Amino acid sequence: MTTRRSILKGGLAAAALTSAPSIIKTQAQPSRARTVRAVMHADLRVLDPIWTTANITAYHGAMIYDTLFGLDANFAPQPQMVSKWGLSDDKLTYTFELRDGLKFSDGQAVTAADCVASVRRWAARSGSGQSMMARVKDTPVVDDRTFRIVLSEPYGLVIDSLSTISTSLCYMMRRRDAETDPNQQVRETIGSGPFLYNRDETRPGNRHVYDRNPNYVPRAEPPSGMSGGKVVKLDRVTFENIADEQTALSALQAGEIDFYEVPPQDLVDELKKDKGLTLEVLNKTGHIAFMRLNHLHPPFNNPDARRAMLHLAKQDDVMGAIFGAQSKSWQACGSFFGCGTPMTNDENTEWFKKGQDIAKAKELFQKSGYDGRPVVVLQATDHYLANPAGLFAAQWLRSAGVNVDLAAMDWGALVSRRAVKKPPAEGGWNIFSTTVTGITFSDPIAFTGQAANGEKSWFGWPSDPLQERLRDKWATAPTLEARKEIAKELQSNGWNYIPHLILGQFFRNSAWRKNVTGVLGMPEVVPFWNMEKAAAI
Amino acid sequence: MLAYIARRLASTVLVMGIVAVFVFLLLHLSPGDPAAIIAGDNATGEQIAGIRKQLGLDDALPVQFYRWLAAVLHGDLGISIFSNEPVAKLISQRIEPTLSLALMTLLIAVTLAVSFGVVAAWKVGSWVDRSLMVVSVLGFSVPVFVVGYMLIYVFSISLRWLPVQGYSPIDQGFGPWIERLILPSIALGLAYVALIARITRTSMLEVLAEDYIRTANAKGVATRSVLLKHALKNAGVPIITVIGIGVALLIGGVVITETVFNIPGVGRLVVDAISKRDYPIIQGVILIFSGVYVLVNLLVDLSYTLLDPRIRY
Amino acid sequence: MSVIAAEPALIAAKPRSAQLRRFARRNPTIVAGGTILAIIAALAIAAPLFAGDAITMQPALRLRPPSEANWFGTDHLGRDVFARTVYGAQVSLFVGISVAAMSITGGLFIGLMSGYFRRVDAVVMRLMDGLMAIPAILLAIALVALTRTSVSTVIMAITIPEIPRVVRLVRAVVLSVREAPYVEAAIAGGTPTWKILARHILPNTIAPLIVQATYICASAILIEAALSFLGAGTPPEIPTWGNMIAQSRLFLSRAPWTIFCPGIALAMVVLAVNLLGDGLRDRLDPRLARRM
Repeated sequence: MTTRRSILKGGLAAAALTSAPSIIKTQAQPSRARTVRAVMHADLRVLDPIWTTANITAYHGAMIYDTLFGLDANFAPQPQMVSKWGLSDDKLTYTFELRDGLKFSDGQAVTAADCVASVRRWAARSGSGQSMMARVKDTPVVDDRTFRIVLSEPYGLVIDSLSTISTSLCYMMRRRDAETDPNQQVRETIGSGPFLYNRDETRPGNRHVYDRNPNYVPRAEPPSGMSGGKVVKLDRVTFENIADEQTALSALQAGEIDFYEVPPQDLVDELKKDKGLTLEVLNKTGHIAFMRLNHLHPPFNNPDARRAMLHLAKQDDVMGAIFGAQSKSWQACGSFFGCGTPMTNDENTEWFKKGQDIAKAKELFQKSGYDGRPVVVLQATDHYLANPAGLFAAQWLRSAGVNVDLAAMDWGALVSRRAVKKPPAEGGWNIFSTTVTGITFSDPIAFTGQAANGEKSWFGWPSDPLQERLRDKWATAPTLEARKEIAKELQSNGWNYIPHLILGQFFRNSAWRKNVTGVLGMPEVVPFWNMEKAAAI
Repeated sequence: MLAYIARRLASTVLVMGIVAVFVFLLLHLSPGDPAAIIAGDNATGEQIAGIRKQLGLDDALPVQFYRWLAAVLHGDLGISIFSNEPVAKLISQRIEPTLSLALMTLLIAVTLAVSFGVVAAWKVGSWVDRSLMVVSVLGFSVPVFVVGYMLIYVFSISLRWLPVQGYSPIDQGFGPWIERLILPSIALGLAYVALIARITRTSMLEVLAEDYIRTANAKGVATRSVLLKHALKNAGVPIITVIGIGVALLIGGVVITETVFNIPGVGRLVVDAISKRDYPIIQGVILIFSGVYVLVNLLVDLSYTLLDPRIRY
Repeated sequence: MSVIAAEPALIAAKPRSAQLRRFARRNPTIVAGGTILAIIAALAIAAPLFAGDAITMQPALRLRPPSEANWFGTDHLGRDVFARTVYGAQVSLFVGISVAAMSITGGLFIGLMSGYFRRVDAVVMRLMDGLMAIPAILLAIALVALTRTSVSTVIMAITIPEIPRVVRLVRAVVLSVREAPYVEAAIAGGTPTWKILARHILPNTIAPLIVQATYICASAILIEAALSFLGAGTPPEIPTWGNMIAQSRLFLSRAPWTIFCPGIALAMVVLAVNLLGDGLRDRLDPRLARRM
């Protein structure tokens, strides 16, 4: 039985292999009508979605790789590459069986050994993976299609971690790629996902080309988020790198591109009047803009100075400047986990309800022993958030009598400077701002900014033993209800030690031509399966 | 003549050596870290440090410089940090759009500017002269990107005559190729009209004052033939000089035009590389740009001998 | 008595105003350019007296059209465009003039040395070729992106690539003058080098340099705008016409005043500087002046 199946498989694989070139050839110039040209939020630079945490690489991953489990539109994990799975009674052994007919784009069948190697490499890079792996004793391969994850202690987040949507996602690669040192990039782009990466037509920095994977076997269920049947209804998708927003917008209006992930949000209301366009928020959990404080150096090594910032940060200022004060695209949010997520709660948010209180901030700065030294605010002039956030941070601090050194630079310089631990006067920093998707922000394990283990944690290097204990407790809690309770404790403590401040929660509209339909909404990733394109209207 | 060319070529190598050292130091002594960018926003300091080490960015500067120089001397410009593609391949993919844009721009600018300049010099002091000069200077006074947006707004969005953006390789048809080049070339060319028109006018005036032109005039040779045959030919030297300088300006100017019109040329490549700190690409492109610049100026110098037989090397 | 005394003054005054009028008639470009520049410079200097607050952001008031409270409207951060345009004149003119002054001074010094001292010449000119071969705008982007963004970085970044052009110009003048009989006589007569440079060579460089300075000034203002467009210009907090236009480019159709106000100011100044340069060129070039 086994032999016959494997022979059959081998035969099929060989057939696929020999026919592959002709398939590629016939697809070399797919019809324009079935090509979606998309402008995404960033240019794709790195092709290994495990190695980098860049979102655009996760998008690339979703095109060409598949996952064992996928989150559905309600953020519940559903089996994707897995057909059946089970958990032993002692809650220590997970058994997974792969679906039939899964194939990599090189024609080889996907095996349990490929998956085990992929899970292990992912676990070495991802925050959720590391937390899970600390409790994994073994990952035995049972047969070609079955493998196990054996834990040393019960851990409730195994399936959640495998289906995580926060970078890095757990994509399945070939064993030989997955055995690459986690610190080295995987150069190959061979996956078992719904699309094939067309290297011949791709021009890095200009255009990335994905063709429909003719050998992909979608699930039978209807598509929902990252789960269900990933049925590709297009011949080709291209990611076009148009650096200038105004130009990309003009191209969309002229029908030269079909899909624009984040058009300038200021112009959304105007675009809605364009009859040729559909505008919709695809990421319902939105993004959180947050301002990180450096805990290593004065003044923010003092809790009173950090508390002063709670009373200074006026979310309406920053959001209003980006989206317009009246816009419905944003909301102020006081929860440590962002708003509208399962972990959202109301603990310890009196400061938020009261709003900006400059007098109180002044008083707290004095109490902290602020000595007049300039606070270094990093401002990235080419970043839609970090630019106004820097300007407002300076304005707020000055209004509270704090001296500010507003250091303007580009994003490339900011990301390297924020890694400097030296004092602000010697090339370090006090404040920088960035964004993260709502669903990641709400996850104490997946979001690296939630760690508070001092110099090992994310930039700002907060140190708070209680936070670390609570995160551990959250990760091992058996049920969602239990996690919600611990989230309250986390928030109560979080707004006391203050790793960062929220600058607002916002929902960015995507825009596409009316003749494109079937766009699935999901945080962190834009799925291009299920998408259809009719003749131009 | 040959000895002269040899000498110039030798000094070209020297110049490029200077450029290489300068660019390398400029890049590596200043802030910005490709490792931090490539790792993504959610990565920790530890992960970034690992990437730095793996990319060899932690080695001593002289070691990195030696490594790069040795490779360049073997004709290898290195591998892009971000795309892992050879820099030479990335640049060669981008040359056609930039070259097309530059040539089309030069064509438009020189045609317009030389006719402006000749007419202005012919009607010197008149309102024609003054308004031509003001119009050409005006073209130089508005930032290229503003001109670009206006052209897109009028000709692509409102009138729908021409595409907004992009580039179509010439081997996929002349029509799509030229149609996407018209607007960017005009936007970029306007700036050079002023420069070249002014020089043309001045040199024409100088030449028109020479005795032999007066003689020709006195002998009753038709104005048109005086202007074109004698004067313009002699005014050629300074005009060619400016075109030589203009090539350098053009190389700079394409950066913005390529951004506004989304042309995947060398300019975009290097601006993207600067914002990502993709050192091998920046070094490679500047090295090649400066080589082209030096060679163009060599050609310009050589063309003097053709235009003006009195010049000998 | 008093009448007689007044007479000569009148006589003297009349030709002076007539002279001015004649100068204006003969050099309309110099006068037009100079006047526009003088007015804008005066407004820029007097900015603190009347312009108002150019820095404070009020998001609630963003993108307001021109009104009595905000003559030129407000930008996307709710800052007053009028105040920013006026203060922008300060920074933009400062950038233009500083770049012109620094590149002329630097270029003059290096050019004189290089033209006069043969031994320095070869080395310096190869160095200059190297600098000149790097496209100015790329060097500027790299410098600004790689060091701290500030007005002085922007000035340095624009100045460095300009210097070699000035050096070439000065060197050419020096080379032609030093062969002149009177200079050779002075050298033979044992006149100290600095005296020859100061007395005989320097004056010959002044006319072309003044003309060159105006062009450098105009192009510096434009390059600053280009750098801002590419995100490598002056810090966004400090208003310059360039970064005002660059930051407002998305609002071209929705809030055109945010672009047109600084844009018109910029075009006017560049135009004025160029007119001045053209006029000076015609005037100072003796051969052309004869013809005009």
